[in-house]
Amino acid sequence: MSDENNDKKSSSDLGSWLNSMGAPESVTELMPSEITGLDIAPILSMLGRVGIKSGVRGAQSGDATADEIRWLPVLRG
Amino acid sequence: MSSSLRITCGAEPTRGSGTSPEIVANFFESLIHPFGFFHPTAGLLGELNLSRGVNSLLSPSQHLEFESVQQLAQTISDLDSISIALHHMDSEEFAIWCGLGKSNARTHLMQLIEEMQQARIRVKGAQLQLDFMHNQPSARSLFRSLTQLALVGVVCESRQLQRAWLTSTRTSLSKKWISKFESIQVFSGSGVLLEAEALRFVLRVKWKGIGDCDPAIGVFRNQLVIDVGGVRSFVELPAACSRMEPGSVRLSKNKFEIDLAVKESEWPRS
Repeated sequence: MSDENNDKKSSSDLGSWLNSMGAPESVTELMPSEITGLDIAPILSMLGRVGIKSGVRGAQSGDATADEIRWLPVLRG
Repeated sequence: MSSSLRITCGAEPTRGSGTSPEIVANFFESLIHPFGFFHPTAGLLGELNLSRGVNSLLSPSQHLEFESVQQLAQTISDLDSISIALHHMDSEEFAIWCGLGKSNARTHLMQLIEEMQQARIRVKGAQLQLDFMHNQPSARSLFRSLTQLALVGVVCESRQLQRAWLTSTRTSLSKKWISKFESIQVFSGSGVLLEAEALRFVLRVKWKGIGDCDPAIGVFRNQLVIDVGGVRSFVELPAACSRMEPGSVRLSKNKFEIDLAVKESEWPRS
């Protein structure tokens, strides 16, 4: 197996990927093994289609959820 | 309060850059998906950027480096946002998941939250050093950044600021700017709920100079959110506010007041 393939394999589980992104091992060690052992290759391939917006989710469709920050009108005194 | 942590702002960070901000922020949502959670915190986690240093704050390192004061303020704000999101996760869907028999899952979550709280204590007591050799801001933008830093509870000593400015610019700060920098006060993060009239209350929050910050003010579940240029501070609302409807915010130089109307259907007066 080539080095490139080895790299792909080693970074396809969540724990390895987080470490490769700079997360300290002390953090990944705190996570349950069923999470760190997840094969995230399918998730990573999906990331291009997953999006979250800060505080304005659903702004285009006009709906609101309890999980949004509800910004209040500010009047200057 | 002091800690052994030393933070340098303005240095070229030796690690932590180069990751894609969006992919790391999306990680949280992706992690939540497979276990049946349904976006409990998307509004709060949106646009968080772990590559800006949240991982660094969680590391045991005794010396952290950030590119700028603004970056440090943003990172602390992100850490607080994630911490609140995790608390909500524990209180709701995560608790259900634990109830379905995933062993030790909540224990791990609690450990992560605890680590975040410890990081917050360390950074608040850290020795802050400024270095403008790589990135020299204008006095105006530095004032803005230090205000954001004060919003998240971290103070910068005037003497340290003047010394860093002199070293990098070979000029002294004017008295006007020294005075302005010294006027910045750390946000203490508490509000007072006052009864204005029958069924109407006012939540008063004081912070010197907030009127000049152009803040956005909002509510997220039981938290009041104060946002200055994307850096956020959170204040836990009094429990009674959960039965009230927030109205507009009246902002003045050193305080703001939120009008709150009691939802009569939820809190009938006897």
